[in-house]
Amino acid sequence: MLKPFPSIFRQITEAAKGLGLEENMASSSSSGLTFKLHPLVIVNISDHYTRIKSQSLPPPSTPHAASASNGATSDSSSPPPQPPPRVFGCVIGVQRGRTVEIFNSFELLYDPSTHSLDRAFLEKKQELYKKVFPNFYILGWYSTGSDAQESDMQIHRDLMDINESPLYVLLNPSINPAQKDLPVTIYESELHVIDGIPQLIFVQSSYTIETVEAERISIDHVAHLKPSDGGSAATQLAAHLTGIHSAIKMLNSRIRVLHHYLLAMQKGDIPCENSLLREVSSLLRRLPAIESEKFQDDFLMEYNDTLLISYLAMFTNCSSTMNELVDKFNTAYDRHSRRGGRSAFI
Amino acid sequence: MNLNMNSVETLVAQIQGLSGSTSDVNHLHTLLKQLEELFKSESSRLAPLLTELDPSIHSLGYLYILEACTSAPISKEQASELVLSVGRFINLCSAEQIRVAPDKFISVCKRFKDQVMLLEDPMRGVAPMLTALQKLQYSSEQLTTLHPDFLLLCLLAKCYKTGLSILEDDIFEVDQPRDFFLYCYYGGMICIGQKKFSKALELLHSVVTAPMSVLNAIAIEAYKKYILVSLIHLGQFSSSFPKYTSSVAQRNLKNFSQPYLELVNSYCTGKISELEAFVQANNEKFESDKNLGLVKQVVSSMYKRNIQRLTQTYLTLSLEDIANTVQLNSAKEAEMHVLQMIQDGEIYATINQKDGMVRFLEDPEQYKTCEMIELIDSSIQRIMMLSRKLTDMDEQLSCDPLYLGKAGRDRQRFDFDDFDTVPSKFTV
Repeated sequence: MLKPFPSIFRQITEAAKGLGLEENMASSSSSGLTFKLHPLVIVNISDHYTRIKSQSLPPPSTPHAASASNGATSDSSSPPPQPPPRVFGCVIGVQRGRTVEIFNSFELLYDPSTHSLDRAFLEKKQELYKKVFPNFYILGWYSTGSDAQESDMQIHRDLMDINESPLYVLLNPSINPAQKDLPVTIYESELHVIDGIPQLIFVQSSYTIETVEAERISIDHVAHLKPSDGGSAATQLAAHLTGIHSAIKMLNSRIRVLHHYLLAMQKGDIPCENSLLREVSSLLRRLPAIESEKFQDDFLMEYNDTLLISYLAMFTNCSSTMNELVDKFNTAYDRHSRRGGRSAFI
Repeated sequence: MNLNMNSVETLVAQIQGLSGSTSDVNHLHTLLKQLEELFKSESSRLAPLLTELDPSIHSLGYLYILEACTSAPISKEQASELVLSVGRFINLCSAEQIRVAPDKFISVCKRFKDQVMLLEDPMRGVAPMLTALQKLQYSSEQLTTLHPDFLLLCLLAKCYKTGLSILEDDIFEVDQPRDFFLYCYYGGMICIGQKKFSKALELLHSVVTAPMSVLNAIAIEAYKKYILVSLIHLGQFSSSFPKYTSSVAQRNLKNFSQPYLELVNSYCTGKISELEAFVQANNEKFESDKNLGLVKQVVSSMYKRNIQRLTQTYLTLSLEDIANTVQLNSAKEAEMHVLQMIQDGEIYATINQKDGMVRFLEDPEQYKTCEMIELIDSSIQRIMMLSRKLTDMDEQLSCDPLYLGKAGRDRQRFDFDDFDTVPSKFTV
């Protein structure tokens, strides 16, 4: 496998994000904190939500009853669709100076009567986590939904005694195929004067995704759906190659965006921004990660080997088609072959 | 019926008027076909009409008149003029129009070739024939009747390179089997002339294994050359035919090439003296087949074969030892042979002239370069295209009623999954 590739991919993603191509460009937060989110948190929240949602679904109606009703009108045995449940939990991590890094998260119970999170449980969990990760502090909380709501401010205020400025991580569980970015937003609370009354409101902050190699591999493994029976070697290879193909496609499209941007800048359509240019040039300088002769040799040799294998496969394929063709031709057109005797099974 | 001036005028006017769009051209074509006999009878008087027509716009009409003119026997003096005018026409005519009447075009070109040969100046015919061929083809994969004529002219004129350019294209469609046989045979000869023995082997192999219901002389001659080229290029010859050879060829070809098969036997012994003796003995036979030059090349390739065999045994060898083993006369000759082989890329070695030692090396190709990547990539593309074509052909053949009839008939009476609804006999 080509080792330098994933890190280059990450670097380009970061640079592309740095260019403000991510959704959270319009940052209205003025706290000046930089947020770094680990993918583990996102997977945790999504997993929590999916579990709760699937547990809350009613049991499916029997197939007999379903077919009997012909599906013309809605089946009376199934309840009307419910609004998706909201899940809650805590996010933990480290704050160093102006950088807030969110490493992990855990789930919490929400008490709808008091509109608050279960405090005792939270503290017990916090103690347990402190034993394993002494550096991690509670940085805030998370929930699911499409937008921040008024009732969330209550929970937010409750957490303020643990952390004077907690974060609110919101995951939007609705699947939008057109959307290209992560449906995760991080909110901070700020005191703004609205109509003469100082109020705490949620303001959006930008964030970046940060990961280490071990985390990336495990998240990758969990996040991608594998065929249920493990599949044969062929399907696994196909799935693996499909993944690489889509990754390369995305890489390609992002580089194309950068390229287009640079061209526009060159033509003069967009005012020249030197800071961005510096970032792009530093990105480009990072790219030939290994430049040695030996790498070139090994790389080309391996590439050639793969090409030769596919060539050989095509050859075999062609030869077998040719063989069948020749047999058929001989059967059809060669008058004198196989006179007498019995032919083999076709 | 006499062709008076009025009908001539109308003819010219019609040709000029109806040479615009494709529908007009088709209309003109039907008109001209109706006037066939007219053309034949009045061929001598039609020549002046040609001046009024423009070959690039009125190609179809021009073609018909030209064909009528050339059908009459032509004297040697007129031949030169005719060659010029036909050549001009071929260069200028429009391809779509002549494809409407391909047989007329082909007969004009064949007569052109005859005239050129009559004038004993085949060189003049090469370029026009090439243009004619390219205009007649629908695609580069189609073999036309003009291909073998073109190759014949190239052979006679000894301009092999032009012939080679046509041979580069792969052929997938053939109209007439005779064209195919001749094309491959002449093509093989051209490749031999250019010393491209692998391509020559491929072409001659096609002739030998092509489907034929009756043995033909082209295949016999091709088989003889095939044996010789195989000896020169591969150093060996296997007398078993691949399974796609027609049974006619399999049974009969060997009977006509006895001396050649014996040549193979004496080649395989590896002794130059025996080989030369054999060649001497059968000199007239080889000469009458006009294969003597090739046979001489076979003899000289024997030295190469022996030297190559040495690379498998020795790492270093002195030039004298080489000369002795290979039965060359002196170390100098051995050095020349080895040098030639190194240049041709048949062997990897270095000669140390100080002490007269030759060191044999491995193939230095490491398959590490970008050019190799491009080479393999292009080969993969070619084979993918070939694979697609093969699958198409396979599907077509599976639906062929002839095949289905035979396949159905050959099934055993009571089958493995017996008593099913598939009939065991197809009535077509």
